[in-house]
This record gives sequence, C-alpha cells and structure tokens, in this order.
Amino acid sequence: MSRWDELGDDELMAELAEAVAETVDDPEVTERRRLAASAAFTWRTVDEELAELLHDSALDAGAAVRSSGDSPRSLSFIRGAVTIEIEVTGSSLLGEVIDDDASDEPAAVSLQRPGAEDRVTETDASGFFRFDDVAPGPVRFVVVRGGWSLTTPWATL
Amino acid sequence: MYQVGCVTAPLCGTMHLMDTTEPLATLVPAAREGDQHAWDAIVDRFLPLVGSVIRQHRLSEADGDDVSQTVWLRLVEHLGALREPDALPGWIRTTTRNECLRVINARGRMRPVDPQSEVGLDAVVDDIAHEDLLAAERRQVLRDALLELPAARRDLLLLLLDDPPVPYEEISARLGIPIGSIGPTRARALDQLRKITALRGIGPDPVGGGN
Repeated sequence: MSRWDELGDDELMAELAEAVAETVDDPEVTERRRLAASAAFTWRTVDEELAELLHDSALDAGAAVRSSGDSPRSLSFIRGAVTIEIEVTGSSLLGEVIDDDASDEPAAVSLQRPGAEDRVTETDASGFFRFDDVAPGPVRFVVVRGGWSLTTPWATL
Repeated sequence: MYQVGCVTAPLCGTMHLMDTTEPLATLVPAAREGDQHAWDAIVDRFLPLVGSVIRQHRLSEADGDDVSQTVWLRLVEHLGALREPDALPGWIRTTTRNECLRVINARGRMRPVDPQSEVGLDAVVDDIAHEDLLAAERRQVLRDALLELPAARRDLLLLLLDDPPVPYEEISARLGIPIGSIGPTRARALDQLRKITALRGIGPDPVGGGN
C-alpha cells in the first residue's frame, strides 16, 4: 500500500470514496448525541475542586478477559488528603470517604447525572455511604464536608 | 451520502459552516469563557469523531449514547486545563476509546476466550485475509482523518465524492464559495488530510500506527 504522501490528489480521492462508502451513521442517533453533547455545557463550572481518578478496575489490563459482569467494579478518586472509594455491584453503589484530616461530622455526598435531580446522602460514622437503583450512564459525585467540597470527574457506570 | 453529523442542516447550513471552520485556537478559549455557540461548534466538529471511535468498539446504541455523553461532560470539565487547543482531537480520540473500554469491561460484554477452544479469536482472523484487515484499517484511518478536517473542507470533499457527481454550480451554492475556489480548496483539504494521516504514522505500515 502506498504512503499517503505518495498519493496524487485523484488517487487519494478514490481511496476516500471507498472509505466513505462503507460507513453507516443513523441520523437519529447522531442528533440525539448532538443534543446531549450541547446540553453537557450547562455543567460547566469554574470553581469546583476536581478530584483525580486514581484507579478504575474497568481500565485494568486484562479486565476484559477476566470480567464476568459479576465481580464488583471499583473506582477511586483522590485530591489532597481525601480519597473517595466507590464499589459498584449491579445497580448498587457503596462508597467510602477517607479523609486523613477527618472531623467527626458526616460528609454530604451527591450523586449527579445529566437530566436528573441530584441524589444526596450522608456518610455514616465510618465514612461509608450508599446509593441503590443506580442506572447505567454518566455519573459524578460531589462530597461536601465542613470547609471543603470535592467533585469527581465524570465516569460511565 | 456520508452523514457527518449535521443532521438538522444537511451539510452544515451556512451558520454552522462559519462556526465550525473557526480555528480551535479561537473556539476553545471562547468555550472556556462560557460561550455556548463556541461549544456547539466544537461539538459539531468532533461529534463524528466520537461516533467513529464508538462504532469501532461495536457498542450497543445505548452504551454508545452513554460514552458519547461522558466524553462531552469530561471535555466540559477539561476545557480549563486544555492549554493547547490543537491537542483537542487527540484528547477526544483517547478519551472516547478509554470510555468505550471502561463500558465494555464494566459490563462484562467481552466473553472470556477459552484457550482450549479452537474456535477463538484466530477463527475470526482466519476468515479475513491479512491484506483485507490492513485495508479496512487504512480506510478507518482515512475516515477518522476526514472527521478532523474543518467542516467546510470536509463537506467540500464529501460533495465532490458524491455519486452521481454534484455540479460545481450546486457545490458553489450549497457551500457558499466561488466556483473558482473549489479546485484550490480541494487541493488544500487533501494536503491537510495527508498531514493528519501522516501525523498518525500510518502509511506503509498501517498496523501499530500511533493513534
């Protein structure tokens, strides 16, 4: 096969014609995704403290081969002294807020998703929290305690 | 006709056309400052790229919707950190691929391959000649590169590829460019396309190209 820079304009156009001929894009799907993408902009904020994804078991090497769909998926996020651990089993979600400078007061945890009301719960004395009936799709968490708040990056459940 | 995402205004009506041809160096800072039109222009420009990566991973329609939405949400939160607007296509490609893998893995869609079984991955590969795989990958690379072109240039190439051929007068009217500039714009678009594909290191050896 020729290198791209060795192809003349007409040859490149001929290859393009072949490449383009085999694609299929459902206009309805495209339009639905375009609207969702446009609406994503309403989530823009300038002052949130964003946590980093520390680990996602679904990105582990070999996860595809090992995964049976039964083992829980675990995600963790970190910023400074605070770590947020999430374990997803089916539609249930168990979380833990680990705060090295922990005070005794509970943290408020919001589960956010596009097009839905935030769901809010509080951590128990050990820092655990739980959400049930969580459908697949993009989510993020916002943890608020005393003087700080922390937002995780979006992830697809 | 190859659908490139501008469904509401086939081939991106004039307004879209102007927006999506703005350089990323203009669009990205504008979106960062909260300009919804700039954001929509970025979406129009790269939605086809996101769709292409999703299609490569053969996700269900619903999973594809989820991945697409997550990618755009991630971009909203990433805008502030994106110092080099030209890095955007690469960021979108990588993020979309990662989200596809996460969804595939998290939902256990991929069946484990039994090493004892003869009917594994090899069987699939045997069905398709090696040369065909390379050619298929090459066509995919070309489509991806096409999606990274500014919409005006992409639309011109697509119109020129249409079968039966679209008369130059009509191309001129639909894209709002003089007939005399169709030829030179085609040449520039193809040059840009070569650079995009070359950057990805795919040419003589399509497999293992760095995309």
